[in-house]
Amino acid sequence: MYRGEKKTIFYVLGLYLSSTLLLITTIFVSYYYYERDQFEHSEKDLLKKQTFLLTQQLSKLNENSSDRYKYPRFDEFESAIYDIDKNLIFSTSKDIDITNSKDSFFTKDSNSYLISPLTPYYFGAAFIIIEKKSKNLDILNNLIFIAIVTIIITLITSIFLVNLVLKPMRDNIKLLDSFIKDTTHELNTPITAILTNIETINSSSCDEKTLRKLQRIKIASQSISNIYEDLVYLLLNHKTSTQNIDLNLREMLYQRVEYFTNMATAKNIDLLLDAKEDIDFKADKKKMQRLIDNLLSNAIKYSYKSTNIRVVLNETTLCIEDEGKGMSEQEVKKIFTRYLRFDKSQGGFGMGYSIIKAIADEYEIKIDIVSKETQGTKVTLSW
Amino acid sequence: MVKILSFFLLLSLSLGASEFDKNCFDCHSQDFKFHIIMNKYTLKFSSEKRIKEAMFNYLREPSLDKSILPLEYIQKFGLKEKSPLDDKTLREMIDIYYEKFNLQSKLF
Repeated sequence: MYRGEKKTIFYVLGLYLSSTLLLITTIFVSYYYYERDQFEHSEKDLLKKQTFLLTQQLSKLNENSSDRYKYPRFDEFESAIYDIDKNLIFSTSKDIDITNSKDSFFTKDSNSYLISPLTPYYFGAAFIIIEKKSKNLDILNNLIFIAIVTIIITLITSIFLVNLVLKPMRDNIKLLDSFIKDTTHELNTPITAILTNIETINSSSCDEKTLRKLQRIKIASQSISNIYEDLVYLLLNHKTSTQNIDLNLREMLYQRVEYFTNMATAKNIDLLLDAKEDIDFKADKKKMQRLIDNLLSNAIKYSYKSTNIRVVLNETTLCIEDEGKGMSEQEVKKIFTRYLRFDKSQGGFGMGYSIIKAIADEYEIKIDIVSKETQGTKVTLSW
Repeated sequence: MVKILSFFLLLSLSLGASEFDKNCFDCHSQDFKFHIIMNKYTLKFSSEKRIKEAMFNYLREPSLDKSILPLEYIQKFGLKEKSPLDDKTLREMIDIYYEKFNLQSKLF
């Protein structure tokens, strides 16, 4: 999987799933409320019929003159009557209580209740309340099950869709990747040939003008060589085995400073190295070389002409300080983003600091960057 | 103690009942259909409080609009005369009447 591809997949999946979920939730919630309304409606209808039955019975009972009246009772439901001041007159169930109920229809403890007004007031009854066992609205569990199945199907289709959409992009990246790999590989031989041949040219046999030209060719070749090494590091980073050995940082710094001297001299920059003690550091030689090379080439690249670059090595720190154009605070924060270049007038691909960060992280080296615009940048590595 | 209390209770009830006989049966004969009047009041006023209040208001100041009897009946027999009883006694008599004839206590 390519860098950023996972992120894209997550974003697309997140967006697709959340919108589908929202749609499913809206449909299901609406459906649930619709079913609940229908259910309430049918329950109300039934309760109304039962209220009518009771009213008829009360009316009949009221017509008779007697010392005692038997309150009508039904098997299908319980009932109660209240006077106009909501005082209980008679009830067939202990659970019925309308003192706190605001709605005419309500459900409580798996019972449905309907309060209906009554006129005339048979036996003083101004309100009839019917209580019956509610039927269960069983659709919620089914809805949840259907929702889970729909979400799983959506998830599978969305993964399939994302893969389908990303395929052309993936193929293009693969093509580009293999092109860069092949090109990089092909660059190795000519660069090595140029640099080796320049080294073998006898400088005493050349006039001053030719020597200057040769020097320029050498610097340009070194720059290409640096870019080549960076590309190799980025392309083969995870595929090459790391060989950590005890490195003498002082020695390595001397070599790298010497290697960059030509490049620095072209801008009339003095590379001042202060490394008095031998410092041992266990790391992969190639990686440490990339780290130092990138720091030095950046310092040279962004330094003003005729300035100094100070390289100071201590037991636990390596400090490289230039007198260049520097960076703003915001630029410093974004510096480790790959392919980001603040100054487009300078060459390069913006890979330098991202390589520095990757290697530093691997060897638990802390990077501190202090930079002031138009004054310079100080990079301190501490371990 | 219980016996003494029961005795006083029975005494007060019998006294109340005799008071009711004296104050009501003076004008209404024994065959007066008290339960029909109570039924009409219950059908119209529902609660004990409202029934008693309506009865009191009617007996204190009888009028056509306060009466629960049909218009034809009133036209034939005329309106009842104003009760000569004082407010306290009238209310006590209404209480006894309600106690004896209310429909709600007859439900079982």
